[in-house]
Amino acid sequence: MRYVNIEFIKLQRSLAWAVVILLPVIAVASGSMSSLAADSGLDDGWHTLWIRSIGFYGMALLPVGIAILASLIWRTEHRNGNWNALMSTSVPTSTTVLSKTAAVAVLSALMQIVLVLTVVGFGKILFDLPGMLPPQYLMSSVLVIIACVPVAALQSGLSTFFRSFAAPVAIALVATGISTTALLVDISAVIAVPYATATYATQLGTSLVEASNTSFDAAGISVGTAGLVAAVSSAATAVIVIVTTWILNRSDTRA
Amino acid sequence: MSNVIETAHLTKRYGSRTVVDDLSLRVPHGCVYGFLGPNGSGKSTTMKMLLSLIRPTHGDVLIMGQPMTRTSRRRLLAHVGSLIEAPPGYGHLTGRENMRIMQRLLDLPQRQIDWAVDTVRLRSQMGKRVRNFSLGMKQRLGIALALARQPQLLILDEPTNGLDPAGIEEIRELLRNLAASGVTVMVSSHLLGEIDKTATTLGILSEGRLLFQGTRSQLMAASRPDVIIETSDPRFAQSMLRQSLDCRTDGRATRIAQADDAATARAVSTLVHAGVDVFEVRRDDQTLEDVFIDLTKAGGL
Repeated sequence: MRYVNIEFIKLQRSLAWAVVILLPVIAVASGSMSSLAADSGLDDGWHTLWIRSIGFYGMALLPVGIAILASLIWRTEHRNGNWNALMSTSVPTSTTVLSKTAAVAVLSALMQIVLVLTVVGFGKILFDLPGMLPPQYLMSSVLVIIACVPVAALQSGLSTFFRSFAAPVAIALVATGISTTALLVDISAVIAVPYATATYATQLGTSLVEASNTSFDAAGISVGTAGLVAAVSSAATAVIVIVTTWILNRSDTRA
Repeated sequence: MSNVIETAHLTKRYGSRTVVDDLSLRVPHGCVYGFLGPNGSGKSTTMKMLLSLIRPTHGDVLIMGQPMTRTSRRRLLAHVGSLIEAPPGYGHLTGRENMRIMQRLLDLPQRQIDWAVDTVRLRSQMGKRVRNFSLGMKQRLGIALALARQPQLLILDEPTNGLDPAGIEEIRELLRNLAASGVTVMVSSHLLGEIDKTATTLGILSEGRLLFQGTRSQLMAASRPDVIIETSDPRFAQSMLRQSLDCRTDGRATRIAQADDAATARAVSTLVHAGVDVFEVRRDDQTLEDVFIDLTKAGGL
């Protein structure tokens, strides 16, 4: 925990906070733009608002956002003599890998919380919807937060070895495109890939409403799907953290 | 006296290029070890191998008697402070925040942080963001970050780079004080003058090979700068001294090569007895280049 706190000292005055707030707000705003412009309202209240907000967010913005957060967190370590300093302390390599992953995962979780709050805000204030956001979407948000952890581990791992800010983000964008396509054409094995796990989790529960579900046949929230997300996420995170530590322990600084 | 750093046949190759070639360093406990060599001679690469930042192609590193490897490094690095190449520091954070990160990272008591900051005299600047620091201040913060863990061994790569003369003198004094308190300091430079007076032991590197390693007096014996004698009659002085010494006239001065103290005294005495007025007797400033030429002429050591 001490090491995760250190990451948050480093995040003071970081652009990461702008990403955490702006990305979900943009997702919700752009999702409800058409309804606002046409003044047509939302066909199915909270469900329509949620589906329009989470759709594009889960299939593109979320993984790319995590990639940007990971690149931002690692960027300072690649500057000045920070890399040499980081690698010349008594702190075990695995601790560094884990605390960076945790920091990215916490920021991703905050991003999901901002998304939920923005949806609630839009629903209550702009659309004057009755009641509250259905609890199933809070459940699916918890699963999204869990599914973000392997993506955080993977992107943090990529940003460890790429000094470039953009390269890991580009990888996330391309990989998400591929994994989303695979989900659309129903290749279910792809769910083991972190980007797909995250996308899958965001779309959980969105098929309840026939007319306005997102582009692919999203599963409902059940013990089965929740268990699947949790199991796949923990396994992938463990593998990624171990592999990253292993490579980092065997790599040299530049000459 | 035991050695804090010992290397055996330490070698680093990148492809066919040998950057560090068969080094056997001996850094005795409690010394200031001046690690000299021109830019590109392999100093940084050597220091990185000492810290296991890069792994040697051949050979071994012993730190405090223990092999430095990827499995042992974290344990050994608890006692080693270092500053390699550019000084570390998070530019968007203040000096104080940077020190707090190191404090939390290594779980250090506040007095060690205070001591490190006071040692480099950065106390009054700690509220400033590091990106607004001058290069000298960044160097000092880097040294403070390395000192905070109260290391037994301090490895500094060109810490006087970019510092003004007052800053350089401050670092020299700091290194002397640290060595006096029992810390072994290894410091690299491409300028002999910068660490000449601070270092008690010297290692001179050229193209990855160790040209010389030993004390300052051993170096003087191997590469003695000329004695310069300024007199009222240089031509007569040269004819007087020529019989017994290797000398030549250089304007008002007579230069004597390879003169030890006894030879210098004899020369002065000869001149005074011959009625030549002696205005000044001094040793020439010795640059690293001079040492190189001398050592290479003698075929190294």
